[in-house]
Amino acid sequence: MRSPTLFALLVLLPSVAQAQLSPAPVGSGAAQPDEFAPSYTIERIEVRGNHKTRTDLILREVALSPGDTVTADDARVERARLHLLTLGYFLDARLSMIKGERRGGAVLVIEVEERGTIILNAVYLGTSEATNVWGGLDVSERNLLGRGLTLGAGFVSSTRPQVEGAKPALAFALRMAGPPRPRGLLLSGSALFSQGSEFFRARGPASEPAPADFVAVNLRRAGGVLGVGAVLSRTAYLSAEGRFEAVHAELPTLLDRDLGQGQSQPIAFLVREGSSRLGSLALTLDFDSRSDPVLPRAGRHLVLSVEAATPACASQYTFVKVTAQGSLYFPLSVGHVFGVHGLLGGLVGDAPYFDRFFVGDLNLLLPPRAFGVNFSTQPSRDFLGTAVADHRYDKLAGRLLLEYAVPLWRRHGLFYRGDAFAAFGIFALTDPDDVSRHGASLGQRLPADLTADLGLRLDTYIGIFTLSVANALGRLPL
Amino acid sequence: MRSLVPFAAVTTLALAAAHATPTHAQEPEERKTGVARRDGRLLISLGLQDLFKAQDAQRLLSGFTSRVLVRVAVFRVDQPEPVAQSMRHTEIVYDLWDEKFRVRRFEAGGKMETRAAATAGEAIDLATALTAFPIAALDRLEPGITYRLSVRADLNPISQELLADVRRWLARPSPRSRMGSGESFFGSFVSVFVNPRIDESERQLHVVSQSWVEPAR
Repeated sequence: MRSPTLFALLVLLPSVAQAQLSPAPVGSGAAQPDEFAPSYTIERIEVRGNHKTRTDLILREVALSPGDTVTADDARVERARLHLLTLGYFLDARLSMIKGERRGGAVLVIEVEERGTIILNAVYLGTSEATNVWGGLDVSERNLLGRGLTLGAGFVSSTRPQVEGAKPALAFALRMAGPPRPRGLLLSGSALFSQGSEFFRARGPASEPAPADFVAVNLRRAGGVLGVGAVLSRTAYLSAEGRFEAVHAELPTLLDRDLGQGQSQPIAFLVREGSSRLGSLALTLDFDSRSDPVLPRAGRHLVLSVEAATPACASQYTFVKVTAQGSLYFPLSVGHVFGVHGLLGGLVGDAPYFDRFFVGDLNLLLPPRAFGVNFSTQPSRDFLGTAVADHRYDKLAGRLLLEYAVPLWRRHGLFYRGDAFAAFGIFALTDPDDVSRHGASLGQRLPADLTADLGLRLDTYIGIFTLSVANALGRLPL
Repeated sequence: MRSLVPFAAVTTLALAAAHATPTHAQEPEERKTGVARRDGRLLISLGLQDLFKAQDAQRLLSGFTSRVLVRVAVFRVDQPEPVAQSMRHTEIVYDLWDEKFRVRRFEAGGKMETRAAATAGEAIDLATALTAFPIAALDRLEPGITYRLSVRADLNPISQELLADVRRWLARPSPRSRMGSGESFFGSFVSVFVNPRIDESERQLHVVSQSWVEPAR
């Protein structure tokens, strides 16, 4: 029977029987003791197999202590096992009991099998018209000294951009976080040092990426972020972050843009010349009911974020930035998934350019930034004939993406799971001054463009990553 | 156009494809299944003991409950929707002090029975051997039509709700810098693990029966 029927069997069976299942699978609630499942008093707890991870960290996650009574079908036991596995430190974790010294007593045995905890967060590699090559790495150790601390570090470096006055980019980032826990507070901190150039058009048509048409602002940033997060409910997570940066900007000698026909206008560099300070506080609320954070089949994800930079935070920049991002996932009958992703952002005040909405972060067909550093002069394609090619950093942004994902495989070697996906959407990027400009067309008031992506999402033993060809597509001459 | 991206992308795609087995290509094994008709019902007999590996049998002694969920569906070979389905959910517990197994079985329709077992093998048989297991009323099967069974067994299934919780816990811990985008040129990595041990169940077994033509009655 090599027919569509066989495929349908596998798709249908889980849902069919799920509806029929009267005794709930483990984890749907706390177990009630009954005559079938004996109960035991824990006399002591033994932890085995942890050569690196501290025993007290494991015991804290398990949340069972000597003197506690557990039943054979106690839901806390399976939850404890899953908590241990979600830490990412273990290939396997098992709980069992052996007979204690007195009748009704038991020794709880926790056996873990440790795994490597150094993972790859990012690989940076690329070229552009402006920058011959840039590259870098970002790695993390997620169980530092066996204490469950995360320490991550990354860097990116580039050749000297071909824009007049530009300097090679070099950026380092360092991150640290407390042990990941489904309950309680998560403390985190990060530091960034970066120096590089941002490119501002000085002449030529907006659609041309020629580096000779740009001038460079050389910028150095050094600072850090301290954060604390808390789980509010099964689906809600709140985090707060405080940030401080020292910024140093060198502006080019050429300060005006040549508009042709003898006309010019001052270039808006969107950063204070010389040394300046940036301090802000941010709150982020995350609602997440997705079936999976990376390859979701259903559910929704909403992230609301507000960041305020004020003199009270020792900031010389004053602004408020609000961003809302949402995703909805709809399972389709053949196992495919349809997703809708929306983003709306607004900014009020005099934010530096690197805190504004960047076209490369919205348009999947352009190179995004790495550690906040941009390497490209490439404008958006302007498929819709608006003024979007002239917009790079703005205060207002919106994007709507429709995505179709197809599961390719499950449980196979190094690549544990994989989805192919295709996305198509539209984005807009503008400034309040452009929106209210008298006599401007709709395309000038609300510059928009089409964007698309195509690739694979892979779930592997060394982390989860998305492999996308959008940026390569964006550079094909059409 | 100077770009390392197409080469990197193509190489990685090729590597991924080499490791990939399409989901729909993982076809279940065909297993000889006894099919009988009695008292107006279709009954099947099938052994699924290989759901348990040697280490699983040892883990039955852990003192904690082990669960086995068996789901059976009857299909016409020319249609994707099941004609009928049934299930059995079994719990196995080893009493540390009495040193014996207890087995409790729930079946569709609310039937429940509790049995004792002297050995792990006997407990596994009670959980995984379907003997004259009722699947459907015969009046749901049309004479002259070809049918087939699809059977899936899960060891220690986890609720979908808890599974989703776990995957969200996995997603949270990675601290991300507010000061810069974390995206790379040709993709992005997320610093979380998804442990293959965290799945719908600890082990799954899919089999299909031989097909048969339903006789006239």
